[in-house]
Amino acid sequence: MTELIVENVQKWLGGLQILKGASFTATRGSIVALLGASGSGKTTLLRCIAGLEQPEIGKIVIGGKTVLNGEAKLALPPEQRNIGLVFQSYALWPHRTVRDNVGYGLKLRGVNGDETAKRVQAILDRMGLGHLADRFPSQLSGGQQQRVAICRALVYEPRVLLLDEPLSNLDAKLREEARYWIRKLILDLEICAILVTHDQGEALAAADNILLLQDGRIVQEGAPHEIYTNPNSFYSADFLGANNIVNGKIERVDGGIAVFGGNGWTLGGTVRGGGPVSAGSDARAVIRVEQIAVSDQPAPDAIEMELDDSIYLGDKWEYRLRRGDFAARAHGTRKMEPGKVYARIPAESVWVFPNGA
Amino acid sequence: MSPDNQAAARVAVAPPSHAFVPAPKTPKVANAGLFRVIVIGLLAIAVLAPVGLIVYQSFLNAPFFSARAKLSLDAYAYVLNDPSFYKALGTTAMFAFGMVAVAVPLGGILAFLITRTDIRFKRTLEVLVLVPMFISSIVLAFGYTVSIGPTGFLSLFVRDIIGFVPWNIYNLPGMIVIAGLSHVPHVYLYVSAAMKNLPSDLEEAARTSGANIWQVSRDVTLPMVLPSLIFAASLNILLGFETFGIPLVLGDPNGIMVLTTYIYKLTTLFGTPTYQLMAVVAMVLVLITIPLVWMQRRLLRNSRRYAALGGKGARVSTLKLGRGGQITALSVIALWLFVSVGLPVGGITVRAFVNAWGEGVNLFSQLTFANFDGLLEVPSLVRGMINTMILSVVGGALAVGIYLLIGLAGHRNNGISNTVLDYIVLLPRALPGLIVGLAFFWVFLFIPLLTPLRPTLISLFVAYVVVGLSYGLRLLQGTLIQVAPELEESARTTGATIGRTWRDVVIPIVRPGLAGAWALIMIIFLREYATGVYLMGAGTEVIGSLMVSLLQTGAMSTIAALALISIIMTGAGLALALRLGARIHD
Ligand SMILES: Nc1ncnc2c1ncn2[C@@H]1O[C@H](COP(=O)(O)OP(=O)(O)O)[C@@H](O)[C@H]1O
Ligand SMILES: [Mg+2]
Repeated sequence: MTELIVENVQKWLGGLQILKGASFTATRGSIVALLGASGSGKTTLLRCIAGLEQPEIGKIVIGGKTVLNGEAKLALPPEQRNIGLVFQSYALWPHRTVRDNVGYGLKLRGVNGDETAKRVQAILDRMGLGHLADRFPSQLSGGQQQRVAICRALVYEPRVLLLDEPLSNLDAKLREEARYWIRKLILDLEICAILVTHDQGEALAAADNILLLQDGRIVQEGAPHEIYTNPNSFYSADFLGANNIVNGKIERVDGGIAVFGGNGWTLGGTVRGGGPVSAGSDARAVIRVEQIAVSDQPAPDAIEMELDDSIYLGDKWEYRLRRGDFAARAHGTRKMEPGKVYARIPAESVWVFPNGA
Repeated sequence: MSPDNQAAARVAVAPPSHAFVPAPKTPKVANAGLFRVIVIGLLAIAVLAPVGLIVYQSFLNAPFFSARAKLSLDAYAYVLNDPSFYKALGTTAMFAFGMVAVAVPLGGILAFLITRTDIRFKRTLEVLVLVPMFISSIVLAFGYTVSIGPTGFLSLFVRDIIGFVPWNIYNLPGMIVIAGLSHVPHVYLYVSAAMKNLPSDLEEAARTSGANIWQVSRDVTLPMVLPSLIFAASLNILLGFETFGIPLVLGDPNGIMVLTTYIYKLTTLFGTPTYQLMAVVAMVLVLITIPLVWMQRRLLRNSRRYAALGGKGARVSTLKLGRGGQITALSVIALWLFVSVGLPVGGITVRAFVNAWGEGVNLFSQLTFANFDGLLEVPSLVRGMINTMILSVVGGALAVGIYLLIGLAGHRNNGISNTVLDYIVLLPRALPGLIVGLAFFWVFLFIPLLTPLRPTLISLFVAYVVVGLSYGLRLLQGTLIQVAPELEESARTTGATIGRTWRDVVIPIVRPGLAGAWALIMIIFLREYATGVYLMGAGTEVIGSLMVSLLQTGAMSTIAALALISIIMTGAGLALALRLGARIHD
């Protein structure tokens, strides 16, 4: 069931166009991640959905109710949108206890005292915060504050839960744990959630659907696996994963297959990102680090490269490879001595983008 | 939207070059809009009505209530042909600029010593240097009269020793020095705020390149805080144009007039009220002060932008003064404090307890409570004390409530009403208390519905609220702005309307700040003397204005007792403010 429809939302701030026509939909029981570099407009888009910013153009429907319609000059204030928003800073009210923070939304909705107490206790217990109900926010750890903020936004069962970088203030260990339980919670409660993040790992692990934002536009949309393995632009390909970026020239094109090379090397690749490609034009290729297999034994489909160094990373080794002006990183399980090595780089993993794509 | 990525993007993103940018018209969100319109509308009336009446009165040929009053330019003709008007105008200008020349360098040096060096007793000094600001200038001026006036205690003492008095404060230079010294805190306040935000690595870099402390302050600190110095200078010019107490006490006996005392003298110039002439002078004064206020607003906005660029990661470490430096610096501050607080307050204290003094009289043998007993015998003086207490304690609390409502009306309000508010609060700053009081006196005469309120404290209260508006509103806006926007936004997304958010989130969070604001407004109302000069009547006397009228009768003993009471009340208010954690600094 579609809970959220965002249509062609455009927003100007301080004379600059921050959102340039964002459209997407989100359904119940799923998580949509808004992923993008810092400054790409994720927070602004989220705030437009929440009603904290009013876009000049566009339409937003939450749970079947039109909350924004630029043409009709209709814009419902945040309190009439039936949403829950978890702020990056958590924004817990310092003068209220955990119980009063969480219960506020119910109080505003006219739920009576007993019922409120019951529901607040239930959600706090569920998050393992039951014993903290009488504390003030300043007496909680960052992780606890974050869970209280989520309780506060969920307790009145909003149609859409919006989360703005909810994990960015947690330390790395807590973060991986949190993205797992947040996902589980949202799926259990069968609500619709929009998760803003600049962390690709978070988006890939937690979301059902990822919207990749660039400069106020959604440049690609898809399931995590889809968006990771099938990027449609250089930006998408480069934004996700750990990558080698290679500059060179297209030597030959044959359908989707190209021969791509530079000073003293050539690689087979696949042409991506639309646009006409012609032999002789400059291009860039993206090769995911994990797609390069390095061996000290020659193989027919491997190219010979120079290994400059092996760097120990703890769980693996990183190899610094070079051939002419082609430099690359690759991973392996053991230390290799500098010198000649052989790298297997499958053509379908060399994504060639004509310059400008 | 973290502020840092905003800042980064503002720098990085070039101006838009899109061919099509529709006018960003935001759909209206009907919420708290009515409240804002009502509050700002009422405020506009409260400010514009008296101003409008002054303008109207200035174009009449007689007081507005007179039957023969009709539109004319006679009043302008009279004033603009009066040589003593030009003399007063010239004196005012010299007074204002002279005052700045004294106050700005001293205030700057004080700010530098207290914020940027390791001077001893810093905490105490921070409070002490502000004290002159809290004492009304009529009290200060009177204090100088009794301590270093022609027959002041110190003057007589010095004459005993060397045979003559080497100073005279009853002339323009004397007035300028005294006014300059008492306005040092107004400079200190702004310059020290700017200096606190200055990252100290800039100064340290200069020191490590071989500059000594004075070279550092001249070559690094001074240029960096120049905007705040300019701001303080323009503020003091404004205050100079509006001063009433010091010229009245020190200038008037020798016929030295400034614009405010010229207005005051006009009242008594002829047998009949000369409102039209007073209105014309008020117009002239306001036409001078409005551009000053306007300029300050722009300066302040620029300096904020400037401060925002510096501030980041500012770590303030202090310059070492060394032993000699400490002694010199502390002596300078002590001397200034002695002259600008010790002399007047000491003089008043002594004068309040003696009746006779002169050459060869032992003051200790003259000590008496008679002056205070005398106070209690005059009903109007007793009422004055009671009224002053009511106005400052109760009125101060009510005023904080009013400023809070106005503050909320402008809080996170980007609409037209906020622009209106912005401009309205500028006006009272351009109006000296004397003129606000006069204008409200007229308003209460002019509007029949309000006439019954004139002989009550309500009339004074309304005028006080307008006089204190810019200070009080800034105080409350400063408190409101400290509530992080997300705390309000999270209430909104949880389902609260703007009004609910104010009630449940904003006001509870700012409540501690309100108490401090109340104490400060209380002091402002306590020390106010000019506003009541015309407005007070039998039953609505206040201490400050009583002193003004007593000056005409020369009842020095009574004034001394009143002044001491006023100082004690102010001291108590200040102690309360500090106790409540008021942000005296800005
Ligand atoms: N109030 C504002 N005025 C002007 N520009 C703004 C404002 N708020 C945000 N921006 C700009 O909008 C862009 C997108 O900001 P934001 O939505 O916070 O990005 P993200 O959350 O993706 O990091 C940034 O370039 C930011 O500087
Ligand atoms: Mg953001």
